[in-house]
Amino acid sequence: MALKGTKMILVVDALNKHVHGGILDEMFRLRARVFGDRLGWDVKIEDGREIDEFDHLDPAYVIGLDDDDNVVACVRALQTTGPHMLADVFSDILQGQAPLRSATLWESTRFCVDTDRLMMTGRGVGTVSRATCELMVGSLEYARASGIEDIITVIDPVMNRVLKRSDNAPYDYVGATVQMGKTKALAALLDCSEERIARVRAFAGIEGDVFVDEDALSARRAVRSKTASVSGNVSAEVLQYLIEQIDAATTEQEISAALALADQLVGPWSEPTSKTFVAG
Amino acid sequence: MKPLDLGVISNNSEESLQQVLDNICAQFNLDYAAYAGVNTIDNSIHGVVNYPDAWKEHYVEQGFQDIDPTLAMAAKSVGVVDWTRLQRIDGFRKVFCDASEFGIGSTGMTIPVRGPYGDRGMFSVVRTCSEAEWTSLRNEITSGLQTHATLFHDRLMRHGRTMSEMRQPALSDREKEILQWIAAGKSQTDVGIILTISTRTVEVHLRSAREKLGALTTPQAVARAIGMGMIYPI
Repeated sequence: MALKGTKMILVVDALNKHVHGGILDEMFRLRARVFGDRLGWDVKIEDGREIDEFDHLDPAYVIGLDDDDNVVACVRALQTTGPHMLADVFSDILQGQAPLRSATLWESTRFCVDTDRLMMTGRGVGTVSRATCELMVGSLEYARASGIEDIITVIDPVMNRVLKRSDNAPYDYVGATVQMGKTKALAALLDCSEERIARVRAFAGIEGDVFVDEDALSARRAVRSKTASVSGNVSAEVLQYLIEQIDAATTEQEISAALALADQLVGPWSEPTSKTFVAG
Repeated sequence: MKPLDLGVISNNSEESLQQVLDNICAQFNLDYAAYAGVNTIDNSIHGVVNYPDAWKEHYVEQGFQDIDPTLAMAAKSVGVVDWTRLQRIDGFRKVFCDASEFGIGSTGMTIPVRGPYGDRGMFSVVRTCSEAEWTSLRNEITSGLQTHATLFHDRLMRHGRTMSEMRQPALSDREKEILQWIAAGKSQTDVGIILTISTRTVEVHLRSAREKLGALTTPQAVARAIGMGMIYPI
């Protein structure tokens, strides 16, 4: 499926992670594929999921979804005033120097995009670039809404080139580039200015609000998981119709009505079949 | 959750903490501000508010600290929590229904603060006004309030005996170098040219240095760095 390109970004933090357990689980699996398998970073993978100590500190995740609400990109944010990766595990990058600490500076780590899925289901490289830029816009806008002025991000040289190519070049770097497993890691500085956000939006042709409606997202995922569990009995047209009903809903009541309709067309709701997982 | 100590805990500082909250409210056009924080090292809870006494009493009497989602719940967030995000939680309606009887609105936000030792705090502000007014005020003040919230938190955390022992701010060589050039009378632009880094890089390091030194302004940070022997007076 191609990306519609609007309203595909979800922010999950300690306040709503109980609602989005399935999405978080998909995200931890994506991180395992990217950082463990593809990049060969020295990360701990258990049961196909990459989860570290910082995932237990209530970080915020900015997550990119495709048209079918699958996780295709993610990044993790933590305040630099509290425990964060550069202060601890990435201290090699800082060459023994104290980390920056500021209320208006966030750290971003674990930026990744599911290139395999997007290359397979989308329109190739363009879809990957689009998903990457959308995640950048989403994370910059989320930070900016919290009054954050700059982001320090731990990335590999490939991501560094991606940033430069997307008209989103870091304005500076802190510390040194160091070896991390099969690849190298470095810390880059990005401002969360309106100018930068506008540049990335213009580069990728992203217009309008990028943030997903959380209620509609949950409803769509519930309907999909339900129809998948009664496979064979539900036609693609019915599923498509139900999804459209949810997307057309503008109030909580209308979403409930759409779910009730799904109930009638697909059958009564059973226990969720997807395994949910919540860190922390 | 243990009941909050709503009293003013400041005893050796020149300015009462409540006064600090009053000043912040005046500066940012807010009605009331509240801070609560947990020091994970000695497990003490500090709370300071400048709400009217009647509301404070009612709040504690009703045990609202146990159900108020703008406290424990919001402290776990990374981003600023606009209270519209909490409206669906049962406790919110209960607390803010009563609050409105005391003339306190529900347009507000909580800024979560995290300290280096796992200590957490939350700085909440409220302003009774229309949604539209609130949105524009919020966008305007959030960045500035972030810094004040962290300074306020750090200041209270330093009160703990253990914390003050540990508190020799760790500045990087870059931060000290920049402060040293500022002490020598150079502007931020000058410093950028001298060190061949962008002005934005100078600024991000200065902001970090100010915060580590508990300073609101750069001259204050320079004075403190000199006082602590981190840089030389020139």
